[in-house]
Amino acid sequence: MTHRRLAKTIILSTILLIGLSFISNTSLAQDGKALFNANCASCHKLDQKLTGPALMGVEDRWKGNRANLHKWIKNSSAYAKTDPYASALVKEYNGTVMNAFEGVLDDKQIDLVLDYIKNWKPTVETAGAGGAGAKAAESDNSLLFGILTLILAVVALTLLQVNSNLKKLSDDKSGIPAPEPIAFWKNKAYIAMVIVVLFVVGGYMTTKGAIGLGRNKEYQPQQPIFYSHKVHAGTNQINCLYCHGGAEQGKHANIPSVNVCMNCHKAINEYKGEKLFDAEGKEVDGTAQIKKLYEYAGFNPAKAAEWDASKARPIEWTKIHNLPDHVYFNHSQHTKAGKVQCQTCHGEITAMGEVKQFAELSMGWCVNCHRETKVQFKENGFYSIYEKFHEDIKKEMDKDEADLIEKGFKKENIKLDTAKYFNKITVEKIGGTECQKCHY
Amino acid sequence: MKKLTIIAFLTAAVVIVSCSDVKRKPNDIYMPDMAYSRAYETYADHSNLKDSGIYYDNMPVKGTIARGEEMPFPYAKDALGDTTNYVASKSVKSPVDSLTEEQLTEAERMYLINCGICHGKNLDGNGPLWKDGSGPFPAAPKNLIADAVVSKMPEGQMFYSVTYGKNTMGSYASQLNRKQRWDIIYYIKKKQAAAKATAAPAKTETAAK
Repeated sequence: MTHRRLAKTIILSTILLIGLSFISNTSLAQDGKALFNANCASCHKLDQKLTGPALMGVEDRWKGNRANLHKWIKNSSAYAKTDPYASALVKEYNGTVMNAFEGVLDDKQIDLVLDYIKNWKPTVETAGAGGAGAKAAESDNSLLFGILTLILAVVALTLLQVNSNLKKLSDDKSGIPAPEPIAFWKNKAYIAMVIVVLFVVGGYMTTKGAIGLGRNKEYQPQQPIFYSHKVHAGTNQINCLYCHGGAEQGKHANIPSVNVCMNCHKAINEYKGEKLFDAEGKEVDGTAQIKKLYEYAGFNPAKAAEWDASKARPIEWTKIHNLPDHVYFNHSQHTKAGKVQCQTCHGEITAMGEVKQFAELSMGWCVNCHRETKVQFKENGFYSIYEKFHEDIKKEMDKDEADLIEKGFKKENIKLDTAKYFNKITVEKIGGTECQKCHY
Repeated sequence: MKKLTIIAFLTAAVVIVSCSDVKRKPNDIYMPDMAYSRAYETYADHSNLKDSGIYYDNMPVKGTIARGEEMPFPYAKDALGDTTNYVASKSVKSPVDSLTEEQLTEAERMYLINCGICHGKNLDGNGPLWKDGSGPFPAAPKNLIADAVVSKMPEGQMFYSVTYGKNTMGSYASQLNRKQRWDIIYYIKKKQAAAKATAAPAKTETAAK
């Protein structure tokens, strides 16, 4: 009996032990990854050279000598003096010394990290999965309609011809003398019809063209680099102001200089996201666009540390939003004082692969917005000077309160909706439609 | 006659198909000299001004300090492979010793715009560009709270790194002025101190156990 119990416990405990060791094994691998990400990943990637070398196969390069690697990791500058390979490595990386991990990582942890590196395998990319066909050409109906109209017109003309022929035949039979047939280009009815159609269509086109002069809604020029706002501001959530910080500080929302692009693209040298398409639906190679940026920047990925930002050449982007020279427009006035969102005038920029002009940018469009937009008085020091409005609002509120008290409400129970009073004041009321605000 | 109609049909079809609705060219303009500035505007090419006899330097006079701006940083950028100034910058004290509530929110906002995309909104080095390694950025941004080096880095050295860039991080001197950089560093230091204050009692507790 006791033997049996003993055997049972032994079996159970071995099972438990095996299970435990299995769990701890996976958790150890997890630890290695976590340690690597916390301590090494800022400078090393496994398959890409960053501040430090790519670490895949590091043990082979060190000839499997873990003891030396340990010394190197713990205090690289001291170890480099004793080992020619290590000192050559420091030289190759322009004297950038690795942080000393003495006291940060112990031997066991270093081993865990090294194990993680040893067992790491690059993930094979499953190319072509997803994304493809997502942008199947949207069938354009206008072509179909055009062809249909043409066919119908031809049918109608033939039927007219047939009708007149039949009429002629029947007339011949009943002996009515047929009038001399008139060619249709001499037929007055036809001529009148054509003139009317030409007048209507021509007039419409002329008016539309005249209104459209100098207006560029939907303008979407091809840029020197296919830069996708959808990828940067949409997927990667980079704030508009990261690149266009000037929008808050002055007249222009600045176009970022190449060094701002290179803040990230010094390290990000390939595009791995969703497939990119230009406005015509043609696929765009993202990595090639980054290569183009490197050309402008004069950046050589193999010698990243030696890059000199002052040698960069500006990218000549094509300007999309162009207000006429006789209009003054200031970005900071709208974003900072007016608290207008970028998207109000630029549309859903986070969804645009290629930017196009969203707003009309006509005077009617400007004035309309100034008439409708409520002034953001709250928590806005810029408008504290509008004493008169303050007094007016106060008077109106006092009056309404007095009315309510007269009706029998108690003063302490009255809660007026302040938004109702503030919302009456539009930009127009504070001079937003005066000519010289924008034209001078 | 039949041939002619076929040709007309085909050309009409080609014209209709080739009319894409993507507008690559701007519209005509009624009075171009009123629409496009005759004067040189921002981002106009003024590299060739000298050819027309105009001598214009768009750089401020050396040593100019803008109003409200902090004094310049005393150390220049190290030459490649040198770390003298990087080490020396440790001794530089921040000119910002306190910020009002409003200034602090502004510093936080600037941090979130410029730093947060990599270093994370919680300063944990996990911004949307890293996203636990699944983002596009190949290098792990420093965890400003937990990293052994950065959490203890003196403010002067932080300023050096933000100004001139360090390792894979670029220079932010063109995006943030000196005052903004010092303010952001003040904000980070404040967050680091707060994190340490909450971590320290926990540690003593576990030690007591």
